[in-house]
Amino acid sequence: MRTLLLNRISIVWVLLILATALSWQFGHGLGFGDAYQYATSAILVITFVKVRFVFLDFMEVRRAPLPLRVAFEAWAVVACGVLIFLYWSGL
Amino acid sequence: MSSTTKLSPAAESHLPGEAGVWMFIIGDMLMFSLLFSVFVYYRADDVALFASSQQALNQTYGLFNTILMLTSSWFVALAIHAQRHQLAHLTTRFLIGAVLCGLGFIVVKVFEYGEKFAADLTIVTNDFFMYYYLLTGIHLLHVVIGIIVLLYLCTVSRGPELSQGDVNMLESGASFWHMVDMLWIVLFALLYLMR
Amino acid sequence: MNTRAQLVCAWCAIAFAVIFTIGLWPLAGMMPPIAPSLTEAELADFYASNTLSIRFGVLVMMSSIGLMLPLVAVIAVQMKRIEGEHSVLTYGQISSGSLNALIFVVATTCWTVAAFRPDRDPQLVMLLNDFGWIVFLMTFTTFITQNFCIGFCVLSDKREEPIFPRWFGFYNFWVAVSFIPGGLLTFFKTGPFAWNGLFVWWIPFLMFFGWYIVTFVMVRKAVIRQSEESDGLAATA
Repeated sequence: MRTLLLNRISIVWVLLILATALSWQFGHGLGFGDAYQYATSAILVITFVKVRFVFLDFMEVRRAPLPLRVAFEAWAVVACGVLIFLYWSGL
Repeated sequence: MSSTTKLSPAAESHLPGEAGVWMFIIGDMLMFSLLFSVFVYYRADDVALFASSQQALNQTYGLFNTILMLTSSWFVALAIHAQRHQLAHLTTRFLIGAVLCGLGFIVVKVFEYGEKFAADLTIVTNDFFMYYYLLTGIHLLHVVIGIIVLLYLCTVSRGPELSQGDVNMLESGASFWHMVDMLWIVLFALLYLMR
Repeated sequence: MNTRAQLVCAWCAIAFAVIFTIGLWPLAGMMPPIAPSLTEAELADFYASNTLSIRFGVLVMMSSIGLMLPLVAVIAVQMKRIEGEHSVLTYGQISSGSLNALIFVVATTCWTVAAFRPDRDPQLVMLLNDFGWIVFLMTFTTFITQNFCIGFCVLSDKREEPIFPRWFGFYNFWVAVSFIPGGLLTFFKTGPFAWNGLFVWWIPFLMFFGWYIVTFVMVRKAVIRQSEESDGLAATA
């Protein structure tokens, strides 16, 4: 049971929870003061880093055939970029 | 097949589940990336309205649901891990844990919707709430379907000896559930945190 | 073997997609759709100034709708091969697929009734126009029933070389999911969920006609393989 829990999957889960806490703090003024547009950009980047870890370690895309991995990584990068671009276009 | 991949995990690439499921997942992700983009696009049109409406959301519900979703996904990943290491009895237990987290997610969502309705914030209130209900509603539909899939996987995983088809089924369903988790991660940032 | 009849039925899918689009797009001028945000006066003017092209375009669209049904039939024949005697999904596909044609007939009828007497009270023109578009785009339920029947049937195929590839089953689920936002048009007159918006018109439109092309290719392959198999059996017998 212990070896079952102490594996990469569990480490990724802990990191995901920590990343959630960090983006929560960014959303409440940590580190960026009143520069909320940078805080939001940071939140989006953290979000898609989380997404990438869900892809790679939970969905096991890390070990999947290369084209699939490329497709998922590209989706994360493009989606993150488009959302940040659209966000800034409204400021 | 599964025993050989277990012995040499890094040696060869392995597609969990079956290819058709991945096609569905990618298709669904494309649909959601359009929904996300449309939300941020219209938000950019009327930042003041979106920002002030967002204040009416209870972020704690969002955070709580994110933790439930991440934990549920973790249970599913552990279930697959246990199955590969010949611990099938744990597989079923982990899957039940994931189902409970998923049900918890729905309960929180029901409370959240109820609170919004009580405050007279509905799908026709304004653009922000329209997207709030649409995005969370379409996601909730995925959660419900995902829970049905997970319950089905519970019955599959209880069998004494899992066939290759059963393993495929487990991995396919797990991948779908992780996608539902991933979509919520993005929705949480867009609806609750973004300022 | 009725290979030729089955192939003709499969080709009806392409004929339907092409003729219907010609009627909708260049003839009736309903591409992009008539916006739900138009005022009564603007709408009445649209019907009054395009009366003839709408009448002719809708006639063409309506004539093509019958071609949806032979495809339903040939899909059913191939599904029946998978299911055997107690072919419940096949029957589900036949009934839902047939109703789809009725939905299209009702929608096109509304448009042509509106164009029949364009000098009507503008409110009545608007009523008919709304009725047509809402029947056309909101009624996703029978469409997704058909998709789910086909999808589950394809996935239940246990033979070594399945009649349809398994991805075709999941593809049907995906198409079904893309139709569901159509139900939301009832809330909106503008934006991406209005009946001329991204999620109610453009995506379902592309998915719908894409489905006809993909399904045609899959069914055609299945029919040809079936005829080769029966030829092989005849040769060995």
